[in-house]
Amino acid sequence: MIKVAIYGKGGIGKSTCTANLSAALASLGKRVIQIGCDPKADSTINLLGGEPVTPVMNYLREHDEEPTLVEQISRIGYGGVLCIETGGPTPGLGCAGRGIVSTFSLLEELKLFEKFKPDAVLYDVLGDVVCGGFAAPIREGYASKVLIVTSGEKMALYAANNINSAVKNFQDRSYASVRGIIMNRRAVEGEEEKVRAFADKNGLEVVADIPRSNDIIKYEDMGKTVIEGDSSLEVSKRFLSLAQLLIDEDKEVCP
Amino acid sequence: MNCTARIISIYAADVSGVCSALYEYGGMTVIHDASGCNSTYTTHDEPRWYDTESMVYISALTENDAVMGNDEKLITDLCDAAEKLHPRFIAVCGSPMPAMTGVDFEAIAYDTENRTGIPVIAVDTNGMHSYIKGAGAAFMKLAERFSKPHDRLRGTINLLGVTPLDFSLNGSVESMKKWLADCGFTVNACLGTDTSLDEAERLSQAEVSLVVSSCGMKTAEYLQRKYGIPYVVGAPVGERFSRILADSLRAAAESGENSLPCLSERACGGEVAVVGESIISASLACELSLETGRGVRVLESVGESEMSVLAEGDISVDDEDMLQHELKGAKVIIADPLFIPICSADAEFVRLPHEAFSGRCFSKEIPDLINTDVIRKLGLRGKI
Repeated sequence: MIKVAIYGKGGIGKSTCTANLSAALASLGKRVIQIGCDPKADSTINLLGGEPVTPVMNYLREHDEEPTLVEQISRIGYGGVLCIETGGPTPGLGCAGRGIVSTFSLLEELKLFEKFKPDAVLYDVLGDVVCGGFAAPIREGYASKVLIVTSGEKMALYAANNINSAVKNFQDRSYASVRGIIMNRRAVEGEEEKVRAFADKNGLEVVADIPRSNDIIKYEDMGKTVIEGDSSLEVSKRFLSLAQLLIDEDKEVCP
Repeated sequence: MNCTARIISIYAADVSGVCSALYEYGGMTVIHDASGCNSTYTTHDEPRWYDTESMVYISALTENDAVMGNDEKLITDLCDAAEKLHPRFIAVCGSPMPAMTGVDFEAIAYDTENRTGIPVIAVDTNGMHSYIKGAGAAFMKLAERFSKPHDRLRGTINLLGVTPLDFSLNGSVESMKKWLADCGFTVNACLGTDTSLDEAERLSQAEVSLVVSSCGMKTAEYLQRKYGIPYVVGAPVGERFSRILADSLRAAAESGENSLPCLSERACGGEVAVVGESIISASLACELSLETGRGVRVLESVGESEMSVLAEGDISVDDEDMLQHELKGAKVIIADPLFIPICSADAEFVRLPHEAFSGRCFSKEIPDLINTDVIRKLGLRGKI
């Protein structure tokens, strides 16, 4: 099974990349689950035509009891992708990290993977590995690979470096390892050189080069990914290539 | 208010269940929690604490270590303690504070095992569930980690879910073993009490598992999945029901099918209520039903017992107000004495102390009901 967690600086395009990767995997025939792990709960909205799913934490807050069915906290989006959002506590209160851990326990209790039988699970994780809860998606049994989204901007590379170091710190724990970098271009001068220099320094591969594209914004305004909007676009092809790479690698592990 | 207890006690928590389940296996059980006091987890509801040594420790988690996520301190302490004490394994489990900070005990176990070379198991607890969930998870981990494939031995039985929290040290464990021997069976393993790690290792050679409390249910299911061992659910309470249970064990050995005689052999409903853990209560209800020909209700009061043994008219109710309401219709109530304040004065109350609920308070009163005349033992003659 393909199990990938996507990290990166806040606002760098993690949700865009994750949703497009989910859509690409789905369009290549895979059963996909995307789990947004951010209190903003906006990871899957462009797989759902702009109509958001009820986040797990919102459900718990509104009903004061745990859901008994996966359907109560999920919706099916483009290409059959099962969309789930952890959500978060009331802003300024509680513990968002704990919320992720609780959500994962709940999804286990609901036997999500056994019932849905996904080929791929994508975790879209808030900005940085700020505490234990935000490392939950890379714990054993969850994601096995981490993709870091970065542009050539200084602070994005700074965050990418922090994430890479944090994941390395967990190497004694049988956690996921960093598979590579998604270069999400932001039209920064010398962007490719900067990102590749960072990747080389850390022994990482740039697994996807996503061009800056107004089509992404155009289709997001319509509640869609570019894969859904127009899969023949160059930017769509890049996501499809990344999806194919993950599928091929998974075949090597589980032939 | 839901799920509150203003008057009655509450059941021992999941961490106490872990300590009780693993007490005799020569392992070191470490609860990641503040303070160093063991009384919360073991002394109040663990009768073996006073005459049998066991390595049960608290990590003495500090606020700073919790905030900083200083797992390294716990791992180092585990390694140091293991070097001095040479436990056969280490079990780590959590309390509310690490639950809130999302400590990954599986990862800590993995890391500690790599450093010490000693098997380390992480048992999923947070101090907010019942002893059934904790003991059930601990037994399951023990079976997963230590059981090895063996050839099946005819006539052998695994007794699953035997902790003093459900079966006090009042001779009932010995009675269960004697009853099995009298029925022509041999005890292969008795998970929880009067046991050793060797028994966990040979769990797979039993012909049938007998689940005598909800604490053993997960392990029974695991042993069936892994080794194809069928299980029978019920405690040998009373003479008539024990005979049925023995027949069920023979039938399961023959057919390989599971069975729940404490559900199938009982008349439902009625004005007699048994309150407590579901499997033992349902077994007692079954015996009383067989003896009197009348229906007996089970009010499962832990909230996390095995629900499949509940019959029509039974209910799982762990909320004090709801339980009080449900008890209103009962003319005879068989329950731990700490339930008395929420029972009607008009009802006949029959004291049946349960160590997981009232700890040491009434432990000397707890009767051994195994394969015996329960009507006489509980003083029920003329009452039901």
